[in-house]
Amino acid sequence: MNEATIDADATDRMLLQRMSTGDRVALATMYHSYHGRLCRFLSRLTRRTDVIEEVVNDCFWIVWQKAGEFRGDSRVSTWIMGIAYRCGLKTLRQHGDEPVEDDAIPEDRIPSSDPDEDRELRDWLSKGLDRLSADQRVVVELVYGVGHSLDDVATIMQCPVGTVKARLFHARVKLRNVLPSLAGESPVLKESVS
Amino acid sequence: MSYPMDTGQDCLRAWEAMPWVLQESATQEQSQWLDRHLVHCASCRAEFEQQNRLRLALSLPTEIHIDANAGLKRLMDRIDAPVREETPHRLRSGSWLTRGLVAAVMVQAIAIGALSMKFWSAGEAPAYRTLSEESAPVAAGSIRVVPDASMTLTDWNALLHSLRLQVVGGPNDMGAYTVAPANSTVTTQQALKQLRAARGIRLAEPIVGTP
Ligand SMILES: [Zn+2]
Repeated sequence: MNEATIDADATDRMLLQRMSTGDRVALATMYHSYHGRLCRFLSRLTRRTDVIEEVVNDCFWIVWQKAGEFRGDSRVSTWIMGIAYRCGLKTLRQHGDEPVEDDAIPEDRIPSSDPDEDRELRDWLSKGLDRLSADQRVVVELVYGVGHSLDDVATIMQCPVGTVKARLFHARVKLRNVLPSLAGESPVLKESVS
Repeated sequence: MSYPMDTGQDCLRAWEAMPWVLQESATQEQSQWLDRHLVHCASCRAEFEQQNRLRLALSLPTEIHIDANAGLKRLMDRIDAPVREETPHRLRSGSWLTRGLVAAVMVQAIAIGALSMKFWSAGEAPAYRTLSEESAPVAAGSIRVVPDASMTLTDWNALLHSLRLQVVGGPNDMGAYTVAPANSTVTTQQALKQLRAARGIRLAEPIVGTP
């Protein structure tokens, strides 16, 4: 754990402590500090912005109510991500078979601010993620996107480290098989040419 | 599914080290070892580039734009609202919940192993007949699906969601669901193909000729 992470966690703990006494300024600060990363994390579970919004608030509703119960055996961020994950699963179960509203899907092409290169990378990514299960996408996001350790991910998903490893493994195999490689040809082909 | 470690122990070790090296959480020794391996292993080099690209792609700014201020205001309103708000909120969108409650409980029970394998194993060959019995007429284009016992409810929901399918019936005694395209943009043939390719799906067959 680097120094920045330790500092951030100390700040989070202080905010939680204030929230447990009903301090709404602390809640607002915490909300803003986590909103972006929660939306991003939840966007790997669902593309519906209305669902994401709902889950973020469900999550913070719990954080607000349980602020005083945080025992501190993990980082605050791990605790909050875990709550968001469980709220996300719960909500997805409720929305399970509902078709996605077209207007709830983010614009396919965001004008400007998105160079072609990024667009290409996004398309490449979504092509891969589409083939993964929700739990596999979550593991991929937490490991590659957020940079969590296997232990953190296990805490967030409340499952054994071995399960996280297996999910990561299968996700990587699937991505490898689905995504076109950078060179546009497989290493096997390359070797047979030379 | 092709496994990445055909080439031996070193490649397996390299494969396992990659995410942590990319995260910069690997030990110095681990990173250096990987560097050395990559020098002479083209296959792992390609994989590592791919992994790096994955990390880059995941670090792009999100395309989801949600107004934090509006969200916070709603949260504050919720905190201020009288207690009665909580329960109805949860049951609001009840289609899966009400219609599929039994199904949900069942799949979950299977996922956690509460129902033993006999539930499924009974269904190997003779199941076909039972699977085809439908109590109610089904819409054209429907598909009969049997998820594997190991499939979690989350994965099942995510799969249906990604294929734009909805459950219109089931599960029957054999655990078969009837699903149908949620809108006209999905054809049964496409859905069928994707279902059959999906992990955790034991059986997917079109329902034909049941008027
Ligand atoms: Zn290798």
